Parts: sequence; structure tokens; C-alpha cells
Amino acid sequence: MTINGETVKRITQTTLDGGPALPAAARTSLSEKVRHRLLKIITARESTLGAVVILLVLYLSWASPYFFTAGNLTVVGRQIALALLISVGMTFVILIGGIDLSVGSVVALVSVLSGEAMVNAGLPPVVAVILALAAGALVGLVNGSINAFAGIPSFVVTLGMLAVARGLSLGISGGSTISGFPPGFLYIGQGAFLGIPVPVWIAAVVAIVAHFVLTRTTFGRHIYFVGSNEEAAKLSGIRVRRVKISVFVVASTLAAVSGILETARLSVGQPAAGNGYELLAIGAAVIGGTSLFGGVGGILGTALGTSLLLLIQNALILLGISAYWQQAFSGVIIVGAVALNMWRRQRN
Amino acid sequence: MVTHPLIAMRGIVKRYPGVTALRDVSLSVESGEVMALVGENGAGKSTLLKILAGAARADEGVIEISGETVQVHSPRESQARGIAVIYQELNLANDLSVAENIYVGREPKTRLGTVDFRTMERGAAELLSSLGIDIAPTEIVGNLNIALRQMVEIAKALLIDARVVVMDEPTSSLTEEEVETLLKLVRQLRSNGVSVIYVSHRMREIFEIADRITVMRDGAVVGVRDAKTTTPNDLVHMMVGRELEDLYGVRTSPVDATATPTLEVRGLSSGKLLHDVSFSVRPGEILALAGLIGAGRSDAAMTIFGAAKRGGGEILIDGQPMALRTPREAMDAGIGFVPEDRKHQGLFLGLPVRENMSSASLSKISRLSLVSRRRDRDLARQYAKQLGIRESAIEVAAGTLSGGNQQKVVLARWLARVPKLLILDEPTRGVDVGAKAEIYQLVRKIASEGVAILVISSELTEVLGIADRILVMREGYGVGELAAAEASEKRVMAMATGVQEDVS
Repeated sequence: MTINGETVKRITQTTLDGGPALPAAARTSLSEKVRHRLLKIITARESTLGAVVILLVLYLSWASPYFFTAGNLTVVGRQIALALLISVGMTFVILIGGIDLSVGSVVALVSVLSGEAMVNAGLPPVVAVILALAAGALVGLVNGSINAFAGIPSFVVTLGMLAVARGLSLGISGGSTISGFPPGFLYIGQGAFLGIPVPVWIAAVVAIVAHFVLTRTTFGRHIYFVGSNEEAAKLSGIRVRRVKISVFVVASTLAAVSGILETARLSVGQPAAGNGYELLAIGAAVIGGTSLFGGVGGILGTALGTSLLLLIQNALILLGISAYWQQAFSGVIIVGAVALNMWRRQRN
Repeated sequence: MVTHPLIAMRGIVKRYPGVTALRDVSLSVESGEVMALVGENGAGKSTLLKILAGAARADEGVIEISGETVQVHSPRESQARGIAVIYQELNLANDLSVAENIYVGREPKTRLGTVDFRTMERGAAELLSSLGIDIAPTEIVGNLNIALRQMVEIAKALLIDARVVVMDEPTSSLTEEEVETLLKLVRQLRSNGVSVIYVSHRMREIFEIADRITVMRDGAVVGVRDAKTTTPNDLVHMMVGRELEDLYGVRTSPVDATATPTLEVRGLSSGKLLHDVSFSVRPGEILALAGLIGAGRSDAAMTIFGAAKRGGGEILIDGQPMALRTPREAMDAGIGFVPEDRKHQGLFLGLPVRENMSSASLSKISRLSLVSRRRDRDLARQYAKQLGIRESAIEVAAGTLSGGNQQKVVLARWLARVPKLLILDEPTRGVDVGAKAEIYQLVRKIASEGVAILVISSELTEVLGIADRILVMREGYGVGELAAAEASEKRVMAMATGVQEDVS
């Protein structure tokens, strides 16, 4: 009973304690705190998902001799890392009640641009990477500004950008792939540090920072406020437009980071890169419990959602099921996860 | 022959995990009777009505209709028994016409099997005119005001031959004028032999319309009274154990009439909604803006707060002209604003109470944009304590609180900024009597600390009870100012509607 929680509390307390109120309350408070904390962890939105991911890992370790090999884990880890970067940005956008369909095209644009810069123009990798990131940020700035100032729904704005950015990368590259990257650049996609692939390090740092930003900073609070109730946010003195634009810049920039890493991993700049990544990222965020209406969700769930989707991809391959079936599985899982979340929320 | 009441709920018990929401509750309604159901939020009214409506099931007890024991397992069964419930959130399709809404699910068909719009519109017109409602059946529901939408909902209920209409706080978002129209309709229903169960917090309506009154408190019925032989004071006493006089409180220290006004507005205009409005509020003073909905009161508030574009005029804070182009600038100038629509403009319903409370003071509890969790929690605790919100509610989603507590959360947000001027737009809408008294007390206390208060209210008793001065607005203009001593409901109403005072 949440509606009249106040009366509920009053009644239970008087009936349970009965005797003198003060000592009884003091006695229960400590053990209650511990129990409360435990209950919170167990009933947290993310715990079911975490359990599912762990079970899947256990199952795969048992069912396939190849799963728990260094080779396979490196491959899966890199895939999860690249997808996670995009999913984290997507989570920011979805938290304000928006959507960004252009992230996959940004990956392609960045892939082509870094190829042009490094291979054809011969720029040093550092400069090329900075330029590529700036291009990503610019896409986000355009997306966010149109959404915030013209009031055009983000779905429409980024649907347009999906086509524009993809078109640009096709136009710039003439439709062909670019190869011949300097080895120093390839390291960030293919190399490992302390035995763990570089992209995994980068994605982990990004995810932790993003989690910190969302939970501990004023910018994070503003994101939840805007997503929860834009009007109330405005009337609480929050610069709603600035928040919206920033969020789209974050999403596009993280897509650009992912694009650079992917280019380095495959050693080619290609205009076909990143196809369909937006759907994977939306799926991961939604499976992780982020509400498409905004205001609810977080990075932990998104990280688990991303892992789940890519582990399932890996499982299908390891178990010898045709990769063609993979999308069907992903679709069912996305809808199933959302249904589960809604059911839980209703029960509460 | 023994006559049975139309509806009799006997010995209803409803338990939720950990709590008994209803304890041996009985409610009986005769045919053609208006039964008011009153009680504080959380007293169990909603649960009782849910059981009657078939939306919840009682653990014990029986429901009898005309003496016959019935089982009501679903809203559909309840409707089939002639029970219609009009919820606060109306169930209308806003893009369809009045007639289509009334006939939804039971559209008359032509021989070809298509919808017979002509019969439908004729039927709707007859039904509406029998209720004395002046709406064209072809009007799109979205174009109607809330009062008229409610009437469409009631007409919809009567089409299914409802014998009892349950209205859950039907007037909570209506103006005084619209309330009159609704009460007229309730009387019409009664004279047509339909029974009405009327849930409301507003004493005046209850005494104007009810035949009998059932009072609930803490999940039990504390008494059934005849409306003719009881008084508002008795009822409030039964509901909360408090007298009505205590509700609004009294001014404890006089306003310094020589002080520079905290807020002075000169010739304020905004679009087509606000024309040349001037007034001032001094430190510690409570000024009320009275008027009908659409009179421009909320627009004045929004314009001062920088949330609506100012077309013309000057706003002075402590004698200094201010630009106030955005809410942020208004906040920096020391203004706080509790908006009219708590759910859509005020609260972040899905977020914890704590985050709601600190949402306008983040700079105060953060350094280098890093929010201090400790200071965040301390702020929430401090204001929860000050406003009488239990501490365990701090981490709960704001949307799960009662109306009164929700309003306190919004108030806390602004008190945390220690404003010079607090604008309160409909501060007690949808709030029960007990919480109302607490809010008024709080407003008194803030004012006594030197904060200037601008309050907007559609409840005249509230305006008269709390304000030092009253500015009456009509159609975007300020039409007159009254000191509390010289104001009466009649005078304010006359000015608000533009009816000559001596005529009314």
C-alpha cells in the first residue's frame, strides 16, 4: 500500500511494538537497516538481470569448451566494449525521454573520416582522432540544437541525421573502404594492456565515469529532472535546452569513440560500419531497465543489458546455431525484458 | 413491506499486506439520495469506492443492491448493476465528439452495420438537455473545459441506466462558477431518482448538496450525520479532531505598511492573457489573486516568475526593476513558485522526495557540480521535519505520497532556497483538511518571517481566510483591490464575474 503509506506505517508500528515506543524503535533500527540494505540489493531492478547474465555465463562455460578460452573472451569483451560505449550514450538520451537513431551512422562517418585523415591526408593519429571526435560532437550538437530549439521530436531529428551522416560517409569515401592505417593507431583497437583489450579498458572507464556523472553530479540530476518532468524542471530553474543539447553531444561523441575503436580493430575505414547499432543500443538500455519515457534507469542496467545481448550472440555462434537467427532472439529478449520490468513496476 | 436501501455495503473489511485498510465499514444509500463521503486522505474512501466499483475485492462483508446480496467482481459487473463511478481522471477520448464519447462501446448501428451518427447525436442531445447541460453533441471533447467534460462523463454513466453515480472529488479542479453548474446537475440527478455518492473535501458544497454525510477516519466509519442537523465544525472535528476556526490561523504581527514592497508590478502585460496589471506585496504580507479560471491570475504568476514572456510593464523586487526573463533569473532575484498543477508542473513524480526537495538548490549542496550526498540528505531531513513529512518517506518516489504531502514537497523545494517572495498557485488543491491546515500554518509562519506571499486560489473561503489583501482579476485585468476586512464572498464574486454588486 503506497497511497496511504503514512497510515500504514502508523498502524503497523503501534500494533507491532505495543510497549514503550523509544527503546523498541532503537532496537529494531540497526538490524532493520541491514535487512533494508539487503532487501534493496535483492529487489533492485538490476539484480534479476545480473543473475541472468551470470547464469548465462555459467551455462556457456559448461555447454561449450570454447567459451572460457582467452581467445573467445577477448573477442566477446571487445564486442561488449564497443557496444557499451554507444549504449551508455543512448542511456543518457533515453533518460531525458529522447532517442538517438543516428549513432550507427556516426560510427560510419567517424570510420570514414579517420581513414581520410590518417591514410589519405597523412595526419598524425592523435590529430585525426581529435578531428573525428569533434565531428561526432558536432553531429550531437546539431541533433540536440534542432531538438531543443525547434522542438522537433528527437526521433525525427535523429532519423534525419541517420540518413545524413550515412550519406556523408558514403559521399566522402565514394562508397569504398579505406585501409593502410598506422600501427600505432591500430593498437587502440587490437592491442591489450595487462592482458585485457584496450577497448575494454576504455569502455570500462567511460561506463564508470558515466555512472558517476548520472548519480553524483548536478548534470546527472538535471538529466533525471528533465526526463521525469520537463515542465517542472523548467520551473525549478533548470536550463532544459542546455541539458538536452549536452546529452545529444555525449551520445554522438561516445558513438564517435566507438567508431574510432572499431576502425582500429578492423584496420579499415568503411562507410557501411555501424549499421543497426542504434537498435542494439536502444535494446541494451531498455533491457537494463531504462524507461523510454525518461527519468528512470542507469548505467549499471545498460552494462548488463549490453552484456546479455552480446553474450547471446556469442552463445548462438558457439552452440552452432545459425547467426541468421540471432536478431529474432534479440527481439524476443528485448520485449520480454520490458514486459518483466513493467510487471514488476505494477506489482510495486 | 420492508424497504431496502438502494445500496448497502455491510461489514466491509479490506486487508492489504501489513495493514487493514477498511475495518467493518458500512455504507448505505437510499434511492434519490445524495450521500456525501468525507474523510482525510488515507481514511479509506477510495478503497471503499474501489470495492463498490468492482476494481478491488473485499475480504469480508457484503454488498446489497435493493436488498439482494450481489457479487461485484469486476468494473463491468458493477456497471451492469447500475453503479457508475466518475473518477478524478476522466475516461474520455479528447479527439472525439461528445456524442461519440457518450455512446462509446454501445454505438447505434444502421442497417449496413455502420455507426448511426444521426441517432447517436439525437440521443445524446436528448440526454444532455434532460440534464440541463448546454453542450452540442458534435462538439469535440478536447475543446470543453474540465467541468463540461465531467458532465459528459456523467451523461455517459446515465446512458447505461446508472442508479447510483459515484463522484470522486469532482470539483477539485473546478472554479466556483463551474462548481455551481455541477451541483445543479447533481440536484437534477437526484430529482430524476438517481442516487449520488459524493466525495469531497469542500465543506460548502457538501452542505449545499448532501442529504446525509458519512464520515470516515483511519479505515472506519466514525459517524453518519444528517446534513440538516450537523455543522462543518462537527464534521471537521469527526474527521481530524480539530476545529474549523484553526484552519486558516490568524495574523500574529502587523505588516509594516511603510516597508518597500518586496514585489511591485506596474502595468504588467503578457500576450492576450494579461493586460496592464499593477499591484504590490510587502514583506510579511499575504496578497491573494482572486478570480475565475482564465482571469489571468496564473499568467501573472508565470510572467513574474519568468516562465511566460512579458509583453510590457515593470517588475520591481525590493524597489529595483528586474528583467526576470527566465525562471532562473526570477529564482536568483529571490522568488519561489509553487505552480498550479502539482503533477505536471511541480513534481518529479518518479524521483525520490529527497531529489525533489533539493532540485532548486543543487548549487547549495554541491561543489564543482559534485552533489554532496550528506548535504542532500540533511536538507531533505531538515525540511521533512519542518513540514511534518515522516523521515522514512524521504527515499520514496514523490508520486506515491498523498496530495498534501506532495504539496509539502514542492513547498520544501522553495523554502530550501529561503525566498523573499513566494508565489503559491492553488496551494491546497486536492489536499485534505488536515494537510490544508498545516499548509496554511506554514504559510503564516513563512510570512511572519518577512517573506512576501502571493497566493492564487479558486476557493473563495481560502482567499478570505488567509489573505491580508485581495486583488480581483477578470479577463486579464486587475478589476479591484480589497482589504481582508472589507472583503466578502459576495463582493469578490461580483467583481470577479463583473456583475454589479448591488444587483447580486
